[in-house]
Amino acid sequence: MEMKILERGTQFARPKITPNEFREWNRKNKPREMIDKVMDAKTAVKKFMKDGDIISISGCSFVRIPVAILHEVVRQRIKDLYVGCGTRSIDVNFLTDNGLVSHLDPGYIIGLEVLGLPKMSRKIVEQAVTKGEITLTEWDNASMAWRHKAAAMGIPFMPVRHMMGTDTFKYSGAVKVQCPFTDEEVVLVPALFTDVALIHVHESDIYGNARITSGAIVEDWGKVRGSKRVILSTEKIVDTEDIRKESDRTFVPYFYVDAVVKAPYGSHPGNMPGMYYVDIEHLIEYRKACEDTTGKALKGYYDNYVFGVDSFEEYLEKIGGKKKLKFLEDLEFLKVKPGGFS
Amino acid sequence: MSEEYNVMELMTILASRDIEDKKIIYVGTGIPMLVTSLAQKARNLKITPIFEVGGIGPEMPTLPLSVACSRTTWRALRAADSAEAFEIAQAGFADYAFLGGAQIDKYGNLNSTVLGDYHAPKVRFPGSGGANAFASFAWKTMIIMNHEKRRFVEKIDYITSPGYLDGPGSRKKAGLPPGTGPYKVYTTRGTFDFDEKTKRMRLFALNPGVTVEDVIENTGFEMMLPSKIKDNDPPSREELKILREDVDPYRIILGRGEA
Repeated sequence: MEMKILERGTQFARPKITPNEFREWNRKNKPREMIDKVMDAKTAVKKFMKDGDIISISGCSFVRIPVAILHEVVRQRIKDLYVGCGTRSIDVNFLTDNGLVSHLDPGYIIGLEVLGLPKMSRKIVEQAVTKGEITLTEWDNASMAWRHKAAAMGIPFMPVRHMMGTDTFKYSGAVKVQCPFTDEEVVLVPALFTDVALIHVHESDIYGNARITSGAIVEDWGKVRGSKRVILSTEKIVDTEDIRKESDRTFVPYFYVDAVVKAPYGSHPGNMPGMYYVDIEHLIEYRKACEDTTGKALKGYYDNYVFGVDSFEEYLEKIGGKKKLKFLEDLEFLKVKPGGFS
Repeated sequence: MSEEYNVMELMTILASRDIEDKKIIYVGTGIPMLVTSLAQKARNLKITPIFEVGGIGPEMPTLPLSVACSRTTWRALRAADSAEAFEIAQAGFADYAFLGGAQIDKYGNLNSTVLGDYHAPKVRFPGSGGANAFASFAWKTMIIMNHEKRRFVEKIDYITSPGYLDGPGSRKKAGLPPGTGPYKVYTTRGTFDFDEKTKRMRLFALNPGVTVEDVIENTGFEMMLPSKIKDNDPPSREELKILREDVDPYRIILGRGEA
């Protein structure tokens, strides 16, 4: 029996990077040798990111997000970015708020989940979409997870059993076909190979053998393994001996990783499971800045926290330094009550 | 007997009462977290919550702020990834999923993506998140919504998540897994189910103080009315106490019911 295309989503699927090209890239550009990849965020972004890149970002919403790297992307104004957006939130807002994005593949965008919808960030996206400055291809969190997974597998698409019958399908880049084995209808979602994955983890050695020691993995196996370049920021640098002792805990081996950036508290204001909790007060400060729909207060937020500092260490001082960070550590383990709620 | 409560507290309690024991529940962000946590704490149910980015069977010591936050893997049975979490649902383990939205139609199709034109949005919402997959895979999809005429409409602007699509047989025709679909809708005015033949939304029970006329007036499509309509019991003192003191003590979500 033939595999017939029954229906096509109307939006752009951008098969810019094909499985064969990805194989070639990995053959030519990824050293098999374990080399020291430690560098600072500024250098990593300068070296491995460029305008127009297709990117993905680790974690979900405001959990295990690579904020130290993202601040650097904003400061260096890497623009025209194509962003994979399964379960995104303030991390992608950092980019859209600053006009650095030309395409989004949502999943989930803009919202701060339980902490509400930041108005100005929403207005920016609505206006950019209307003017055609941002194009969209609609997906959902499951299809985004499987698109990253397909890229990690080195295959061109993944058959899935949802999206059909909805506008989520209609405004996607998926196709519906008749399964050649069962005769049933399935949706094929294209692999999302990316240029760069920005990933924050708990531990890594200097070569990029990395661990996520607590919390959900989200789509990060797929994001790392389906990307040409991986900038990895880590809370701690550990010895390779440690990695070898408990290899079952390794999240990804070194050869996927291009840069290892030491970034303690690198997910702030996000949560780092097992280390520190969400800085609720800071997220509410951001959301409040977004109440002003002239954009002035939000610009003030970035002038203060991103452009007003040279490094992430300086930023950490600004948000309350050691005292605040200790509070967030205690909050993670339920030793104190959260602040920020009136 | 009962004390004052707001609509958020009422909807949470009503939905929570209907969860059956020993089931797997997919928990999205917001009210679904309250519903699940209340079912665990007030009814002592042995249910297994799954969060779409990987948390499986956590204890949820406090209300999670995100579907990924560390409360969703706190003393969990497994911290998996998103692909695995959705694959578990695709393979038939998702007994319940809870969804919300900005608009709903008579077949239970939900919009959480956009109001107005997709390419020139009047309002852009976060989008599907896990909703489209939940609504496709869960054996019973439970929906929780504010009941207003502008939300309960004849035609929604955008179908983010599938209800019964165009009516009987259309989920099957579209290729969605059989035996799935919206099961109940909990609103600020009552509880609704779906007529087996027509797949249309039907009034099942009225919330305290609400009349059939109230429901009709605040619904933008023709609501089916059964011959017998039940009355939802108001929240008990015990349910409210647990919800307020143990589930959402900072009123992060419950506070929205006061607006």
